[in-house]
Amino acid sequence: RNSVNRPPTPDAAEDLGKEPMFQEIINIKLIESGEKERLMELLRERLIECGWKDEMKALCRAFIKKKGRNDVTVDDLVRVITPKGRASIPDYIKAELLQRIRAYLVQAAV
Amino acid sequence: MSSKINHHHHHHRFNTQIFPPPCPHLAEFRARNGSKPFRALQDCLRVKPPGGRAAIRRDPSEVPRCGACGESARPRLYACLACAAISCHAPPGPSHAAAHATSMPPGHEIAVDVDRAEIFCCACRDQVYDRDFDAAVVLSQTATLKSATIQSAKPENLRKRRRVDYRPWSPDIRDRVLMETGSSPLENGSDLPRGLRGLNNLGNTCFMNSVLQALLHTPPLRNYFLSDRHNRYYCKKKNGVSNSNAGGKRNVGTADGHGNKNARLCLACDMDAMFSAVFSGDRTPYSPAKFLYSWWQHASNLASYEQQDAHEFFISMLDGIHENVEKDRHKPHSQGHGDCCIAHRVFSGILRSDVMCMACGFTSTTYDPCVDISLDLEPHQGGSSKSVSTKTHHSCNGEAGVSQTMSIRKLPLVSCFHIKRFEHSSIRKMSRKVDRYLQFPFSLDMTPYLSSSILRNRFGNRIFPFDGDEPDASNEMSSEFELFAVVTHTGKLDAGHYVTYLRLSNQWYKCDDAWVTQVNENIVRAAQGYMMFYVQKMLYYKASENRAVS
Repeated sequence: RNSVNRPPTPDAAEDLGKEPMFQEIINIKLIESGEKERLMELLRERLIECGWKDEMKALCRAFIKKKGRNDVTVDDLVRVITPKGRASIPDYIKAELLQRIRAYLVQAAV
Repeated sequence: MSSKINHHHHHHRFNTQIFPPPCPHLAEFRARNGSKPFRALQDCLRVKPPGGRAAIRRDPSEVPRCGACGESARPRLYACLACAAISCHAPPGPSHAAAHATSMPPGHEIAVDVDRAEIFCCACRDQVYDRDFDAAVVLSQTATLKSATIQSAKPENLRKRRRVDYRPWSPDIRDRVLMETGSSPLENGSDLPRGLRGLNNLGNTCFMNSVLQALLHTPPLRNYFLSDRHNRYYCKKKNGVSNSNAGGKRNVGTADGHGNKNARLCLACDMDAMFSAVFSGDRTPYSPAKFLYSWWQHASNLASYEQQDAHEFFISMLDGIHENVEKDRHKPHSQGHGDCCIAHRVFSGILRSDVMCMACGFTSTTYDPCVDISLDLEPHQGGSSKSVSTKTHHSCNGEAGVSQTMSIRKLPLVSCFHIKRFEHSSIRKMSRKVDRYLQFPFSLDMTPYLSSSILRNRFGNRIFPFDGDEPDASNEMSSEFELFAVVTHTGKLDAGHYVTYLRLSNQWYKCDDAWVTQVNENIVRAAQGYMMFYVQKMLYYKASENRAVS
C-alpha cells in the first residue's frame, strides 16, 4: 500500500537540506549586498527621531524600577516592550522601509 | 526554566565608574581562559564604515546562521566563545543558544551577539559585561593608529572646579543695624514683577536695549550683581589706587598712558549701576547713557549712532567684562571653565569637535570654549553633525574625506542661541536678511547633544570609560533648560527694530525700548527669534512660577 512507501514526515530541526524559502533568499541577498545594514541604520535613525526609542527606554526604566535592578534580565525587558514596541511604530516608517525594500528587489531582480 | 542568579548588591567601582559584577559563569570563563578569547575575537570584529557599529564576522561576507535550525533571520544570533558555534535566541520561542550551553560540557555558557558585539550568558539568559572585551571593541571602533589620542587626551583647559567649604554666617547686631538703615522695603502691592523697567532709546540703540533687558533678567547674572559681588564703589577705588602715579594721587581721567585710560573703564561697574537702578522699584524708563559711553570706549569701532547688530554687541559686552579681569593676575584667563569672570562663568561652555578620516578612522579631538551657539537657517551652509568637507587626511592617503562631529562637552549655565539671520557676502558685496520663521521651544533638553550621548550612540552598551570621563552626574542633572528671554528683530536689514520678550513668573513681557507691556505667550511663539536665552532649569525657580500663591 502507499502508506508503506510514503517517506517519513521531515523533522523541522533536521531540515537542513530543504530548499531555501523565498524569504530566506531575500534576506541573504539583502545581507550580502549590504542593503540590510543600510536599512537597519535608516530604521534606527527614524525610530530615534520620532521618539520611539525614548518611549521604549522609559518603559524599560519603569519596569526595572518596579522589579528591582538586580532582578531583571535582557530577555525580561525584550518580553515587556515587544508588544507595545511593535504596535507603536508609526505607519510612515513602515511605509518608507517597505518602499525601500521594494525598490531594492526591483533593481536586484534585473 | 532559567534560574535567576542573585547578583551582589554592591557594584565595583573602577575609575569612579560603576560596572556590574560578572555572573558566576563569566567569572569562571575568565578564570579558565583569561582574556585570550577576547583578543582572538578582535580579529573577527568588523566595523564599517570606520567609526560605525561593531559586528562579529569570521570573514567579512559571512552570513551567520543558527547551527541548530539554519535560520539567519533571527533577531539575536550568538556565537559561543568556546567553540564559535552560532545559535539563535528568540524568546518566547526555543533558545538554541541556551540549549547549546546545557548540552555542551561546562565552559560554553558565554557567547557574543554577532550583530551588536555584546556578550551574553546563555545560562543566566542575561547580558553580562567585561572590561577587557569592551576595551577591545572600543579600540577597534576608534582607530587602528593612535587610539591613544582618544583615550588619554585630556583638554588642558579642563580641570576640576575648585570647591569652597561652606561656612555658615548670621548677622550680628552691627550687621543688622547696617542692613536696616541701608535698605527700604519693596513695594508689595505691585502687580508687575521686580526689575521690569523700560530703557530709553538713545538714538538707534534698540540693539543695546534688547540685549541689556535679556541680561538684566539672566538669573545667575542678576543674582551676581544684586548680591553685590561686583561693588562699583569698591572697584573704582581699587582701580584708581592701583593705577595711580607714585604720589598716590587719583587719576583725573586723562590719558596718562594706555593703561591709565582704561583704569576708569569698567563695564561691570556700569552693569552694577544699571542693576541697582532697574531693580530699585522706580518704574520710569532708565537711560543707559553711562553704559553706552563706556561701551563706546571699549568697542570704539562700533561707536556711532548707527544701528548695530545685537549679537555683535552681546559678544563685545561679554568681552568687555572679561577684559577687566586681565588686570587681575590672580585669576585664570582661559575661558573654558569660566573661573575668569562672571560673563564666562554664566555663558561659557565647551564644544568638542571630532574630526575623523573616513578611510582609516584616525580621529582628532579638540575642545573649544564658546559663549553662545550660532545656528544657520539655510541648509546648504553645512551645519549639524556629520557634514563632510573637502579636507582629507593626508598621512593615510585616504581619499574618502573627513567627517566632523560636534558635541557639547560642558553646558553653560545660560545657553544663548543666535540665529544667523544677517548674511554679509563679501563676494557678492551685498547683505541680506533671512526672514524665515523658526519655531523654538520653551523648554529644552540638551542631553542628546552632549559629548557623552554622542559617544554612547557610537559605541553602544559599553562600560569602557571615555576620555577619563567620570559619569558626569552634574551634566545629567543640568541638561534641562528653560527659555527666559527672546530678542527679536523685525523689519529690514538696515531699517529694523529689536524687541525683547522676557519670561518672569511664567508671564511674558514685551520690552520695546521704554515701553514694557504684558503679552500672551502666543505672541512670543510667533515672533521672529534672533537670540534665544535658556537657563538651566535648576536655576529657574519653579516657586516663582505661581506668583498668586506666594
